[in-house]
Amino acid sequence: MLVMALVNLAAAAGIPADYAPMVIEPNVKDGKSEFDLTAAQSRARLEKKRLYVYLGASDCPYCRVYETFLRQNTQDLVAEFARDYLIVDLRSSLSVKAGLLYFKVGAKSFDYKAFMERIGDERARLLVYPSVWLFDAELKPLLQMPAGAGTFQTVPEQLEILRLVQ
Amino acid sequence: MIRVLVYCVLAGAIFAVGVPATRGAVGGLPTPVGHADSSPEWEQLREKMFGARKIDADSGRVSLVVPLRAAYGASVPVKIVSKLPQSAQLYVKRLYIVVDKNPSPVAAVFDLTTEVGQADLETRLRVDEYSHVRVVSELSNGELHTDSRYVKVSGGCSAPPNRDQLNLIGKTLLKLPEGVKMNAPTAVDLQVVHPNDTGFELNNVTVMFIPPHFVRSIKVTYGEARIFEAELDFSISENPAFRFNFVPHRAGELKAEVEDSKEGHYVGRLAVQPTGD
Repeated sequence: MLVMALVNLAAAAGIPADYAPMVIEPNVKDGKSEFDLTAAQSRARLEKKRLYVYLGASDCPYCRVYETFLRQNTQDLVAEFARDYLIVDLRSSLSVKAGLLYFKVGAKSFDYKAFMERIGDERARLLVYPSVWLFDAELKPLLQMPAGAGTFQTVPEQLEILRLVQ
Repeated sequence: MIRVLVYCVLAGAIFAVGVPATRGAVGGLPTPVGHADSSPEWEQLREKMFGARKIDADSGRVSLVVPLRAAYGASVPVKIVSKLPQSAQLYVKRLYIVVDKNPSPVAAVFDLTTEVGQADLETRLRVDEYSHVRVVSELSNGELHTDSRYVKVSGGCSAPPNRDQLNLIGKTLLKLPEGVKMNAPTAVDLQVVHPNDTGFELNNVTVMFIPPHFVRSIKVTYGEARIFEAELDFSISENPAFRFNFVPHRAGELKAEVEDSKEGHYVGRLAVQPTGD
């Protein structure tokens, strides 16, 4: 029964389908998980949209909380997301620590710390699941995001984030 | 007097709510909160700290820059901008930084002199839950001015501590990030390597709370001249860092004397050479 529950939990992981996320699975090699953002960036440029990049883990309770919040508020949020953002859903697991997490853009690959330092993100020190980044189509960060998603799990607060209220 | 007040409030908070362990970020607010709003905690504090004195929130004499959300609750960047040069006739005598909802809300009290030149200040704070952060600026003529920002973070006082540099504890570094400006406000970066433990952080190995151990005071001088003295609390982030100004009139030594809550005493020095003016 517990196994079934865990299977169901894992199956439910990720941004709800109503939000039409672009799901990216990692390329796993030598224990490293590399997420290639190249196609997402190209699509954002084409559609003239910002990127809402979500890094979730299949075994992360806080990720399920945020995803459940999204699922429960599709009426209020789907259109708000869709207007300006392409949602990118990076599917990871808690075993992928900062040193094993890589992002690829074009031909270049960066580990988590290098990627975060490159974009000037203060969260370079610590990887937290879930993590969200807001980028323009050139992958320039639009807002210093907080660690985790706990401070934008109400509709008004999610809207604050989407509207870049600072 | 301020120190006594801080401990009273701290003790009250512990008694009232129990010792908070790691808190999840709860998110959400019952009602919209404005940056300039008051809070029950602030009403109590302001009465204890300032009595019936008028605190002007609309004068624009001081402003506070804090992000609505910071990357980490344990390190919220705060910038105080004073709209008043430090002159003998009128200057910012004291700056109070308050985090309403923190277990110990008075984060810092800075006693400033005219040698600061311009009473702007930057530091990083621990913010434990959704809260107003406030600055009160006390002028030499007794006027009080304030500004506040509402901040949405959590867990700042119970965040896992960084234990990378314990062998360097107390190391006090002074830098002039923009070089020397003779006879003009010159920016100084001061950092103390220190865990600034709050007492609310859990040791993941022993499952015991790490005892409080934080920087209690800092005194900065330039030669014989006093620049400022600060009484601090654990609401200042680990590795306490400050950017402030001083006015060098001649070559001299910038000196920071630091004391922590376990009576550790540390000193940082920086020789300042004129660059011609």
